[in-house]
Formats: sequence, structure tokens, C-alpha cells
Amino acid sequence: MNTCPPRHTCRVPRDRQPPIHRLAAATRIAAATWIAELLAVALFALVHSPVACADELAAKDVEFFEKQVRPLLVEHCYQCHSGEARIKGGLRLDTRAGILAGGDSGAVLVSGDPEASLLITAIRYQDQDLQMPPKNRLPADAVSALEKWVADGAKDPRVSTVETTPSPGSALGMSVDEGKSFWAFQPVGDPAVPEVSDPSRIHNPIDAFVVARLEENNLTLAPPADKTTLIRRVTQDMIGLPPTADEVDAFLADESPDAFEKVVERLLNSPQYGVRWGRHWLDVARYADSNGLDENLGYGQAWRYRDYVVDAFNHDKPFHLFLIEQIAGDLLPDATQESRTATGFLALGAKVLAEPDRQKLEMDIIDEQLDTLGKAFLGMTFGCVRCHDHKFDPIKQSDYYALAAIFKSTKTLGDTNEGAIKHWFEHSFASDAETERLKQIDAQIAEKKQAAASFKNASIAKIREAARAQAADYLAEAARFDVATPLTTVAAIAQPLSLHPRILHHCRMHLEYHRDDPLFAYWYQHAGNGEAGSGEIESIREHYRDLFARAQSAFEEAQTQDPKTNELADPVLAAARSALLDVSGFLAVPAKEAFAFDPETLAEYYRLMDVAREFESQAADETAAMGVGEGDVIASLPIHIRGSYKNLGEPVARDFPKVMRISTVRPVFPSGRSGRLQLASWMADTRHPLTARVIVNRIWGWHFGAGLVRTTENFGKLGGRPSHPQLLDWLARNFMAGGWSIKDLHRLILLSSTYQQASSHPQGEAYALVDPENRLHWKANLRRLEAEQIRDSILAVSGRLDQRLGGKTLPLRNRQFVFNHTSEDHTKYDSVRRAIYLPIIRNNLYSFFSQFDYPDPTMPTGSRNATVIAPQNLLMMNYDLILESADAFAAAILREPLGDDKRVQAAYRRAFGRDPSAAESERALQFVTEIAATIDGTDRQQQAWSLFCQSLLASNEFIYLR
Amino acid sequence: MQSRRQVLRHSAIGFGHLAFAAMLGRQAQAAADPTAPQGPHFLPRAKRIVFLFMKGGPSHVDTFDPKPMLDRDHGKPPPFQLPDVTFAKQGNLLKSPWKFKRYGESGLPVSELFPNVARHVDDLCILRSVHGTNPAHGGALLKLHTGSDQFVRPSMGSWLVYGLGTENENLPAFVTICPTLAHGGVNNWGTAFLPAHCQGTPIGNASLPATAAKVKHIRNGRIDFDLQRRQLDLIAEMNRDHLAVAGQDQALEGRLRSFELAFRMQTAMPEIQDLSSESQATMRLYGIDDPVTEDFGRQCLMARRFLEQGVRFVQVTHSDSVVQWDQHASLYQGHTKNAAEVDRPIAGFLTDLKTRGLLEDTLVLWGGEFGRTPTAQGTNGRDHNPHGFTMWMAGGGVKGGFAYGATDEYGYYAVEDKMHVHDLHATILHLMGLDHERLTYRYAGRDFRLTDVAGEVAEGIIQA
Repeated sequence: MNTCPPRHTCRVPRDRQPPIHRLAAATRIAAATWIAELLAVALFALVHSPVACADELAAKDVEFFEKQVRPLLVEHCYQCHSGEARIKGGLRLDTRAGILAGGDSGAVLVSGDPEASLLITAIRYQDQDLQMPPKNRLPADAVSALEKWVADGAKDPRVSTVETTPSPGSALGMSVDEGKSFWAFQPVGDPAVPEVSDPSRIHNPIDAFVVARLEENNLTLAPPADKTTLIRRVTQDMIGLPPTADEVDAFLADESPDAFEKVVERLLNSPQYGVRWGRHWLDVARYADSNGLDENLGYGQAWRYRDYVVDAFNHDKPFHLFLIEQIAGDLLPDATQESRTATGFLALGAKVLAEPDRQKLEMDIIDEQLDTLGKAFLGMTFGCVRCHDHKFDPIKQSDYYALAAIFKSTKTLGDTNEGAIKHWFEHSFASDAETERLKQIDAQIAEKKQAAASFKNASIAKIREAARAQAADYLAEAARFDVATPLTTVAAIAQPLSLHPRILHHCRMHLEYHRDDPLFAYWYQHAGNGEAGSGEIESIREHYRDLFARAQSAFEEAQTQDPKTNELADPVLAAARSALLDVSGFLAVPAKEAFAFDPETLAEYYRLMDVAREFESQAADETAAMGVGEGDVIASLPIHIRGSYKNLGEPVARDFPKVMRISTVRPVFPSGRSGRLQLASWMADTRHPLTARVIVNRIWGWHFGAGLVRTTENFGKLGGRPSHPQLLDWLARNFMAGGWSIKDLHRLILLSSTYQQASSHPQGEAYALVDPENRLHWKANLRRLEAEQIRDSILAVSGRLDQRLGGKTLPLRNRQFVFNHTSEDHTKYDSVRRAIYLPIIRNNLYSFFSQFDYPDPTMPTGSRNATVIAPQNLLMMNYDLILESADAFAAAILREPLGDDKRVQAAYRRAFGRDPSAAESERALQFVTEIAATIDGTDRQQQAWSLFCQSLLASNEFIYLR
Repeated sequence: MQSRRQVLRHSAIGFGHLAFAAMLGRQAQAAADPTAPQGPHFLPRAKRIVFLFMKGGPSHVDTFDPKPMLDRDHGKPPPFQLPDVTFAKQGNLLKSPWKFKRYGESGLPVSELFPNVARHVDDLCILRSVHGTNPAHGGALLKLHTGSDQFVRPSMGSWLVYGLGTENENLPAFVTICPTLAHGGVNNWGTAFLPAHCQGTPIGNASLPATAAKVKHIRNGRIDFDLQRRQLDLIAEMNRDHLAVAGQDQALEGRLRSFELAFRMQTAMPEIQDLSSESQATMRLYGIDDPVTEDFGRQCLMARRFLEQGVRFVQVTHSDSVVQWDQHASLYQGHTKNAAEVDRPIAGFLTDLKTRGLLEDTLVLWGGEFGRTPTAQGTNGRDHNPHGFTMWMAGGGVKGGFAYGATDEYGYYAVEDKMHVHDLHATILHLMGLDHERLTYRYAGRDFRLTDVAGEVAEGIIQA
């Protein structure tokens, strides 16, 4: 009778297999004789473990297991490693099969060999990376019991009801085969444009797909939006600014059938188009001008990537090429400075630059790159797969490490660092002459920093010398007060002898903590506790003055004998001298400059620091771009169990995720090359099921406020499903067929009736019951402007906006600290250039932007939030940028030689692109008159008009688009 | 219908079952609104939390975790395995320059550095087995504040606001006073992907004295409230007209209301920060009479005023331009100064909370991002040690006069009742009435938690 589970589940290498099998075979013979014994000794065993399997084991083994081992496992391990609970680390200890199968880290038992058994390593608590149970180490006798059990062959009488123990992760996720039938992994289809019953609003195939779905639900499109609304909508949409009053007038006056087309073409040809749409891509690329995370260093070269993106949009760079350049622009046969700059996409992530564990850091960076690349281009959350197979999507750990191997062969970190802080890699485009010049600049920066440091050191040395000269006074005056005395009182005591109050204060605390120090025995005999009389105080002074003087002369004398000596023979004098010279002893000078220095010294020190900082922040950078290059190429990478490089599994060769493969023939990765170019080409292949769908969906989402698939970064199982799957496929296919042109896609969308409909529907209330989220597009979505649009529009309307393109705008040199240990922020946001050119400092975003839902620039974001929170209004009410813009707006209105009613009209036209109603005009005039009457001063007209203009800028009509 | 805030007000300290049930009913109604509070999941022990953050890493073996073996083996090489990765090179064992004394009825030992806090030892729950993973400041700060040292994740204050909402709608629910902008900076009070209202509101930063710590844009420097009121009335009229044209819309209506809230915040915030109404005795209690303790004292007093007004999470940071508690060298001098700056204010703060009956349902948390090594760095410093260190709690339903867990006999590794940062977070959420496994937020296709996939509540520290 043998119902034991098959042994092949055990992962112990053959050559190390213990004699348990032989032993089991031998004991089987004796089966009959011991059953009675077993019943007698181990009722516990009987209850929990059917007798059936125990026939292999000797009674004493069973007894040992049941008495010594099982209770331990139950008490200390089952909470996390049994069928009763979540099974952690893929390891079950409540069945024999489980314990033999091991967990994610492989086998835990080598029967007969405790030293080789992970189980024993873990409970011994000597390996800092593997300690079990995690909270408390087992008592010593428990550890020896388990050691003995393993040494004796790990005999386990239990019978499993579960034969294998799949890890919970793999049990949940989709298999690759299941994945193939999931919508997102199916090839892009070729749907026919549907017929609709009412073709009156069908302007292009988009409308056919949308109206067909509406008709299925007995809904219709909303009426077309009025022309003013439409030109505001499309202008904000395409260039992120409101139309000027003249542009509105021209459109209203143009009655030709292609009037709107002309507007669209004008906007597509405006360089401001790239500013607006490039910014959308920068959200996806988690663009920032500093590292953030642990050590916030300036990304002084990131702007080149930003400019590359703006330029790519303005020139309508075909999207597949745009993709390839960002993943492998350095590897193209005709690689240029531009295409190398594009690889900044892979380099811009936030990195734990001070991570002391470089191997971990490298894998963390790869993880960030894969996660970003997956979300940005493929709508896939690869980050989950670092530690385990994807819990929902058909992406396996082997897929992850097949991709990771490509990036492990890629160079993202440079070879240099500064102290604990690693440098990222950059492509240098500098000439030799430039490199020479940069060396000089570096030297100048170092010199300026050194000047500040030298000044500080010299100043501290001066203070220290003065304190040493008055050492006896410090000790004497310290006897006047109790240790808990406030510093103000101490300062008064320090004053007559010009002692340093903080040093005196510290001196008193030092005495408190050194009651046992023989040097201070005299002090304690005479000082009492802050109430020493003047006689006592003077005797302390005399005692120590004499002592330090004797120590000094003894030292001088010793030096005349031996100029090299540093020792004094007399232990009392030696101790006195060493206490006097101890920089952190009883005369320690405060480490904080503000506490150590007098105001003049402090001001000079800060001045020198500022000179150095400013010089550095304005110094020229190398002509170079952040990016990636080829690293040490490896053909395969082991699976990292639980994501740890300290726990390696099977190696996997470079490849693409199985579920997305477009051919059964495997690619050949060139030896000596990372394989990024092959990866990029595969991603940009028209047969790839995701790439075109993901970008087309993004563009749709940016136009309409929500994608056809709402989760723009996740096309997986937990992501949304397309509201119009056929439309999505038609758009994707049409996009690829047209040469991946984003501008063509804009044209198609903007010229559709779907885009041009009004934001409210006559049947709105009824429709909202059917489709409350407007997923079917029965009206246009009302949308709040994004952070940059709000700012830029305010500046534009008040005539302050500078519309120049490109260039470095970060006020930091490359790799300069944003703020290291001082929390002082030197970043200014007072530039009036377009918002895309304001510095994006991770860890300290521009507060105006973050309040208005600016995305976190550490992860790809395809759709922003539009929250309504009170602090936004504090900005609208009180922020300088708004107040100054309102001033400029009002001044411009007042400059025009008009009557007040015409001024109100001009203000409305600038802000809203329309004339005020009579009631509005009257209300505005009343407001301005009233306010002007309540304030004093010569500029009260200006002030009153400024408050009115500010109100326009703060109003809903200004920051919401219909 | 009662507002959530009213329910919380009326239920007061006892937090009766009826009120709790009412709250759960309210929760069900609010389920459709993503910004509505998600909890509590069960009866909370604490309603608010204050974190006294000691930036740089105070040494546990010199403050709350005495190690006689260090005195015995001073100067000898460490007789145990060092971690694979350490921040700096490790020297020999270094004994503490300070002596420990036993205090209170519990007789728990505290070093000379904290004579005033020591008088409260019977209220302290000293967690001696906290451990993290990252040995560098940035990573460790992020781990402690957000649970992740590798990604940008919501901070624990943001999770609490997401979970519990606010008790005072005129104030932000999460404030951080004089936080450090280095080493994770804003991420340490950031909301990441949680809704924007969960974001911590910084009041000043570590480069500013507490007297200069203000909320940005809280006042219009040009016009008085009357004039601004008149302006807001105009904006409201314009917005109402616009609403009539654009049609009913939640965001448009919400924005109308939020202008009013902003207007009220303008008076509410400065009132709380204005300490002039506090008595001389209170100022002395917090050490505001002494330049050494003044700055941190002001921060603590401000914290009490925020807590009193129903702010859910208040962080107070002891930090300056030299990473404060980071004594790689001159441990003695640095820790002496640092402890002197915070000891009296913290003791005064605890006294004040207790006198006002706030300590009962306010959780006080004290500690740094890691501890320091029992081994020397150089001759007289200690390196970072995330492998075992001390934090303490007080009030909020934790046992007082109680020491939980232990480091090894030298103080390098946590070995007994180990409490990982994830466990600390799970425990904090638990005390606030939240189940760390149920407090989730779906983002980019995944449910996120403060505790990621880990975390266990340390039941042992909770009062029966």
C-alpha cells in the first residue's frame, strides 16, 4: 500500500538527494509491526495524518515528527505557510508534498543535510536576507529539533490531499493561450464602416461608428456647438490657448463650408501645436527636470528631450519612427544627435541615486524602464511581473526577464559618481575644445565652493582658539547655573567675559554627562548645582587656569626635548590637554553655522555659498543628452525570484512577451548588441496588436477627455474595455495605413460631427439615465482646462505670454543639487514663457500646477484628473501671478480710449471671446464703480478694473470649456 | 441629514457604537463618491495622529534601547555578521557616551539625553524592534513615509485622509510643519495617485524658522476681507449665470462652493498658527522661552492647535541644514544638541495633550527614518542602521510604560517581535480604525495599499 505523493515534486538536485527513499523502502517491510505502537503513542498523529502513509516510517520517526516537529510548524509557520492562510513565498509546510516541493526560492529541504537546507538557514537567523519566522527567532531547542529532524532524513508521515502547490500568483493570472483570445491581444481588425439609419450627421467614418452605437441605444448626437464655443474648444485643444478676439471674429465672419477646416489647418501649422501636444506626450514619458526620489539632482540635459518631443509633433514625425527613436535611437544605422537624444525617454525616470546596493539599483532602473515602456506604448503593466507572474494578465516572469535581459545589456547608469551618488549615462556631443573649457569651469566651481568652505573653517578655528584661551572661564561660569537653564539666561552669564553663549551652554551639558570624568572632579566638588558662590567660582577658575597652563608648559617643554612628541607623561596633564583639544569635547563649537557665527560672519559665509551656488547654476553644461547606450551584453538573465537578485532562478534568453508575439519564428538577437533595436522594431510593427491601438486611444482621449478605453495605460484584464471596439480598430488600422501620421488623425477627429457637437443635449436628462458617463458620445464633455492651459491662458489674455520655443530653462547646472540638505528652494516660476518651459522639479512641483492636478512626473499618465479643491481658489484669489496678470489685463483695457461700457465689452471679448449681455455689462460697471469708490489712492481706477479682470480670470467660464 | 463631520463631533471621545453605526450608514451612501471617506472599518482607538519626526536617524542605543554589552565590549570588533550592504565602512563597537536611568512605575530606562521625556515614560510604548530596508536617507524617508523606497506612492497621511476624511472642513486634513524638502521631499507628504484633497499641506519648510512657517497664498496682500468678499460675490454671480447656460454639472457647482471654503480657510489657518492667545505658562511648558527649544516648541504647540481643531494627521519635523540627527561623526556633540532642542518641547507637548484630554485619542509617534549602528564610524560617530531601531508611541490606545520587541544584545538587528515599517503602518492604520488590507485604491489596473503586500498589526502594543 503506497499512496504517498509522487516524489518528482521534490526539487532537490539528484546528486544531493538524501537516503530518504532507501530508508523509506526499508521501513515499509516492518509496516505491520508498528501500527499498534503508533496508535498507542500518537493519537495526535492519527487525527491529523491518515495512517496510510505512515507505513513507510518507523514509529520513533513518526513520534519525533508528531511531538517535536509538527507542533512547531503549526505554532510558528502555518499562519503563512498552510492551506489555512495565504501561502507566502509559494511555500506550504502543512503537507509533505508542499514541504518537499519547496517554494518560490526552490527546495527548502535537503533531507539529511541541515547545512544545505534553506529551512534550517532561515530558522537559524544568521542570513540577514532569509529569516523565519519573520518576527521572532525560534527558541534554541526548537531550532535544534528541526535541525535533528532534517539531519535524520526529514521523515514526514503526513499524507497530502494537495499534490502540488501552485503559487497563488500563477493560479490567478491568465494563461498565454487564454490571453490570445483576450481582446487586446487579438490582431487589429478591419471592420467595415457601419450603415446608419440617419446619415445626416455622418461627416466621416468616426461619425458612422459613433452614431451606429448611439442608434443601438436610441440616442442621437447633440446639435452642433455654436461657432464661438467651437473655436474656443478647438483652439484650447490644439494649442492650449484661448482664441484671440480677432480669431473669433474671423471665424464668425467666414461663412464658407470649409471655414472650420481652415481654422484646423491654421492650428496644426502653429508652432504652439507642438507645445500643447508635446506636453501630452511628456505626461506619458513622465518627463521632469530633476531626479527627485532620494537625491534630487538637476537633470540639466533633459530639456533636449523635451525639445525633441515638441519638434517631433510640430513636424508630424511618423509615430512608429517616434517610438523607435525613443527606444533605440542610438542604434539606428543613421543615428544622429536627435535620435540619440530621443533615448532620453528611457533615462528620465526617477532613480534611487544613493542606493548603496548597485546591483539592486540596476534592477530597479530596469524595472522602471520596463514599466514605463509597457504603460506608454503597449498599455501593459509590466512592473507587476518583476516579482511574480502577472496576477491578471498573461505576462509571465519569464517574459519579464526576457525583456529585462535587453535592458540589462543597456547602459543607463554612468561609470562615475560623486560620493554616494551615482551618475546617469549621457551621450556627449562635445568637441575637444568644449571639453577643455568645461574642465576650467569645473575648476572654477570647485574653487568657489572651496572659498566658502575655507572661510567657514577659518572662522570656526578662530572661535575655537578663543574658547580654548578662556577654557577656565567657561568652566567657572558654568558653575553659575543649572543644566536646565534657558539659553537666554546663559547668554547673560556669558556676556561679561565675552564667552560664546552656545559653547557655555554646551559646556554645562557636557559637565552633566561627565560626572565621572576625573578632570571634572574638582568642578563637582565646588560647583554644587547652579548655586555656587563667587568664592567657589573663583576657585574653579583658578584651578583650571593653573591646570591648563601647566599642561601647556609641560607640552612645550616636552616638545623642546622631542619636537615630534604629542604625548605628556603626566596622566592628569595629558587628560587636561586632550580635553582642551577635543573638538567635540566641553568646548565644542556648534556645528550649525547659524549657531556658531556672529551675524557678520554668518552673512559673509552665506554670501560666499550663494556666490558658489549661483556661479554653478549659471555655468555652461556640456553639449550632451541624457539617454541610454549599449552596455555589457548578456544573452540571458535569470528569473529573479520575488524580484530579488539574491535569489536567482532559471535563466531566460532575450525575447518578446509570448502573448504579444507576432510570429512563431523567434528573432535572432545580434550578439554584442543589447537587442533594443529589435525590440523597438517589433513594437512598431503593424502586426503588433497593441501599439497602434494604444496611441490612437491616447489621441482620442486627449481630444475628448476620455479614451475609448478609459484606462489609457492599461489594456489588460483590469483595464477598461473599449466603448467602441470597432472604431478603435478602424482608427488604428487607418492610422497605420496612413503612415502613422498624428496630424492626419487630428484632422479626422476634429472634422467629425462627434467632435463638433454641443456640450448639452436637449434630451440630456433622459440620456444621462442611459449613459451617465457619456461613453457613447451623445454630447461633448464639459472640460476644465489643465494646469498649463489655465496659466498660459491667463498670461495670454493679459498680454504677458512669451511664445518662444525651446532651450534650457532649468536654473540648475546638470547634476547640481536642487536642494541638498538645506531645504531652500531656488527654483523660480516667474518666467512668462509657455508652461512647458517651466522647470519640473520632482519632489517639489510648482504648487500652482500640483493644485490643478498636474500629473506625478514619475509615472506615465495618459489622462489627468480635474478635481475641484479649495486651495485652487486660494491661488486664484491671492497668487501674485494672477494678481499681476489681472493688473496687466486691466491696464490694457484702460489704455484704450473707450467708455467704461466699451471697456467691459473689450474685457469680455478678451476673456471669453464673446460680448457681455446687457445685464452682465451693468453688473460689471456697478462693481467697478463701487470698488473704485471704496478705495483710496490715485490708481483706484486701475485697482478696481484689476479686481474685475481677476474675477473674469477666476470664473468658471474662463477655466471650463463647453 | 447629519454631515459626517457632525457625526464625528457628536460622538466625541467615547465614540459610541450608535455613532459608529450611523457613520457606516453614511459610508454606504457615500460609496459612489470617490472622494468620500472609505472607513473606518472598525472602532478606532485614535482619531488623529501626530508624528514627531527626527530627521537623520537618532541613535537608539543612546536614547531608548540601552546595551550593556556595548560598555563591556567597547572597542572590540563586532562579534556578528554585518549586513551585505552598509552605508559606510563599519568600525569597532562603540559604547554610549550617555548613562541610562530607570523612570516611572514601569522602570523603563531612558538615557540622559531625554530627562524630560523620561518623566512621561509610563505613557510611552517604546518600539525597540522597528526595522526598514533602506540604509540611505532618501530611501529610508520614503519607506517610512510612503511604504516604498523605489516608487512614488501616497504618503501615510494621505492614506489616512483618503480613509477617514476630514473633521474640519475649513482646514486641510493633513498638515506637515517645517518638513524637509530633501530626501524625498514632497513625496513624503504627497498624495501620488490618490485624489488631490489627500495631499499634505506643508507649512513652511525645514529652511525656515517656525515663526516664518506659513501656508502659501493664504492672504491677499492687497485687499481686505470686505473687498474680497465683494469680489467673490461677483465671481459667484458670474458662475451662477454660467451654470444656467452650461447645464447642471457637479464640478461647476463644486467650484462655486469651494470658493467659499477657500475664503473661510483664509481666516481659519492664520488663527490656528497665531500663538499669541496662549498663556505664558503654556509657552514655558513648550520651551518657547528658551532659544534652544523655541523653534521646535513652536512647532509642537502649533501641532496641538491643529489637532484640537480636528486635523487628522500632523507631522512635525526636527530638521535643519545639517541633516540634524545624522551623526556620522561627533555623535556626542550632535546628539547632545539635538536632544536638548526637542526634549523639553516634547515633554511639554505630552503634558499638554494629557491635560486637555487629547492624549487618549491622539496617537503620538516619535522617531527617525532609521537608527544608528552600535559600531563606530570614524572614531566618534555612528553610521545609519535600518536593521533595528527604536520609535515610540504614546496615547491613541497603545500600552503605556511598555517596551515592545528587542534588538540583539548589541543593538544592530531587530530580533524579537520584529516590526517592519510595513507593520508599523499596518498598526497605525489599525489604531485609526482602518484595516490596512481593505484600505485600497485602484490605479493603473492594480489595487494599491500603504502596506503593499506586507504588514501585520502589532496586536501586542494595543491596550486591552
